[in-house]
Amino acid sequence: MDRREFLRRTAALGLGGAALLLPGGVRRSFGALRGLPGLAAVRGGEPGEMFDRGVAALGGMERFVKKGQTVVIKPNMSWDVPPERGGNTNPALVERIVRRCLEAGASKVYAFDHTCDSWRNCYRNSGVEEAVKKGGGVVAPADSSGYYQKVSLPGGRALKETSVHELLMECDVFINVPVLKHHGGAGITMGMKNLMGTVWNRGEFHSKGLHQCIADVSLFRRPALTVIDAYRMMTHNGPRGTSERDVTVLKAQILSTDIVAGDAAAAKIFGTDPKNVQYIRSAAEMGVGTMDLESLGVERIAL
Amino acid sequence: MPSDKRPSGRRTAGRIRHFLALAVAFLFLAWFLLLAGGRTTPRLPFLQAVPSVLRWWGGAAILALSALLAGRAYCSFLCPLGTFQEALWRAGRGRSAGYAPGSPLRYWILVLVLAAGAAGFMALPAALDPYAIFGRGVTQLLRPPLSGGIDRLAGVLESRGIYGVIPRAWQVPFVPLLFWTTAVFFLLLALWSFRKGRPFCGSLCPVGTFLGLFSRSSLLSVRFSGEGCTGCGECETVCPQECISLTEGRVDADRCVLCLRCVDSCPGGALSLSFGGKEEGLSRRGMLRTALGGAAALGAALWALKGDTTLPAAAWPREGKNPVSPPGSKSRGNFTKKCVACTACVAACPAGIIRPSLGEWGAAGLFQPVLDYRRGYCQYECTACAKACPTGAIGPLEPEEKKLLSIGKARFVRRNCIVRRFGTACGACSEHCPTQAMRMVPFRGSLTIPELDPSICLGCGACEHACPAQPKAVTVSGLGVHGKIRPLSGAGEGPVVAPLEEFPF
Repeated sequence: MDRREFLRRTAALGLGGAALLLPGGVRRSFGALRGLPGLAAVRGGEPGEMFDRGVAALGGMERFVKKGQTVVIKPNMSWDVPPERGGNTNPALVERIVRRCLEAGASKVYAFDHTCDSWRNCYRNSGVEEAVKKGGGVVAPADSSGYYQKVSLPGGRALKETSVHELLMECDVFINVPVLKHHGGAGITMGMKNLMGTVWNRGEFHSKGLHQCIADVSLFRRPALTVIDAYRMMTHNGPRGTSERDVTVLKAQILSTDIVAGDAAAAKIFGTDPKNVQYIRSAAEMGVGTMDLESLGVERIAL
Repeated sequence: MPSDKRPSGRRTAGRIRHFLALAVAFLFLAWFLLLAGGRTTPRLPFLQAVPSVLRWWGGAAILALSALLAGRAYCSFLCPLGTFQEALWRAGRGRSAGYAPGSPLRYWILVLVLAAGAAGFMALPAALDPYAIFGRGVTQLLRPPLSGGIDRLAGVLESRGIYGVIPRAWQVPFVPLLFWTTAVFFLLLALWSFRKGRPFCGSLCPVGTFLGLFSRSSLLSVRFSGEGCTGCGECETVCPQECISLTEGRVDADRCVLCLRCVDSCPGGALSLSFGGKEEGLSRRGMLRTALGGAAALGAALWALKGDTTLPAAAWPREGKNPVSPPGSKSRGNFTKKCVACTACVAACPAGIIRPSLGEWGAAGLFQPVLDYRRGYCQYECTACAKACPTGAIGPLEPEEKKLLSIGKARFVRRNCIVRRFGTACGACSEHCPTQAMRMVPFRGSLTIPELDPSICLGCGACEHACPAQPKAVTVSGLGVHGKIRPLSGAGEGPVVAPLEEFPF
């Protein structure tokens, strides 16, 4: 092999490598082609109002929900704590999203979470169950293994297969609505960590390496939209918190078409460099999304 | 036909009584079937004899007074197990063979039950308390098929995309030994009742025997009076207790439950519910009987008052895992002394973690519940078991009190922890810990590892349940005497208000 041949081969390998990254890049450039931003950051308003402004900046609800489609909204309602404690997604935000989905023509909007605390208490006391119903959606249980179906995660590094809630497999549109919180084990929790509430075996994540499993499970189904609630942000003692003192009223919200970018933006709001959050880094490496916010197009909105 | 001579349409007291008893039994049935999820339920079992005796030292005296007033009316109005037997008998044979003298065995049973209770050997009183038997019958034999059916129905609807119309019922922990014991007991009792009225009431029931010690001197009783008796013998065969002797013209008041069937069916109107006229008066036998009853009432009162000698945690061995008693049970001593294993708390627990024990409390406490953290963990704000318990073995407990109540202590074995063994992030225990007694502290690099602060550990088992390590890196051992943690810092304070001023990107 002479020097010219070596250079040629290196270039070919480089091009091949670049081509591997292409699908994600192509996907992301669609929005940019239509001139729409892929991420909206909103601050200074009430949860519902911030969502309306944010989603309008992304091209309106019609960009994500088409007439007759079924939608699954995945809020975080894992803990038996009231809304003021910031342990679960803000109910007012969930209600607004459900309503907007139906207005955009969704045939049905479901919400569920595989909770940590006793599920009935979580659904009720988080205020999310009532919010979903008020918005016109359906609250589905997720407390029994019968609701879950086995799926394989071909690209997974630690998690090769897992069981996912049937509604997530069947729905046309998936909208991920986490809350931004401190997390004792993972450091911070938001978009990708919230997907742990769509699988049955949560314990496995902890025993096989939490960060890599979080990145792996986000391979299964990328949400059309991730709305990160940072109206109340738990800054310590997370993810459950022990009192309202753990919470900062921040009045912010991130809406992203790319779950990794959404998490990266939220991490920055939390005060952490996304590169230091292992699951964000892994997911970006695996091509789930990008940590480069500007490549998506960012709309910053202050109310 | 003797019934031809009966003045028609007048004698309905027995039928009304039966209807009332069925209504009460049905309420108890519904209570044990529907009791779930900390739902506020009417405190029905507070009407029951043994729970009342255990809850308050004066309970036995009130029960004795009720017997002095109305004999064993309790048995035919309020006792669901009595109604169960009578209903079966009526559905089956509905006739008895005639008078049979009471067996003296029942006095020995009462003495043994009281002695066992006083000695802290609760398995015997628990096995013979009619209220507890009825409770176990419902939760073990009726509830599983009912919730199974509900789940199946919910499953069918859900497969058609209809969620939440019928909420799934959760399963009560299945303990094979308790299930089979209950099933065999009820099978035998049912067969026996088909043939013989109220067999349990007449020969086994310690509550009935206790009431019977006073009912001979009761103000209200069923008696032969007047000249109406034709000697037809109808009364003897309709009596579920086989306690009417026609030849002696006598109703054995210590077994008569005032069901009023004989009053209804007597063609000559010779039997009636009458006031006063003590049958025994101050005879030697009567005095002996009442003295025995008084001693029994005193014994029951002392049992309820018995001091708690549970040793505090410090005196317990550090190694080994002690069983955890439900929150509100105060101490191992209080709990095991008062629990009759009726399984009300087992059915009420929304986390499904209260399980009838199989030796955790020793043979003396067989089936008295224990918290099983393999099934889940005690929910931070929940007081469902305390609300359900009628005997005072658990509760009363206010939610605010519950949040500071320590029922056990976690023990963290660092060498088993995932973070240390495999060098990967975990924190499942800390995640679930409501007080952050398990909190994550810096370990190697960006990793964090749990650290335990026992002074704010509630012993709720959230950490043990969540821990993915095998063997568990954190386990909870029960406290002999439940304690109180110090108030959490920041409790009662509001949030920090600091709206985002500008985006950091």
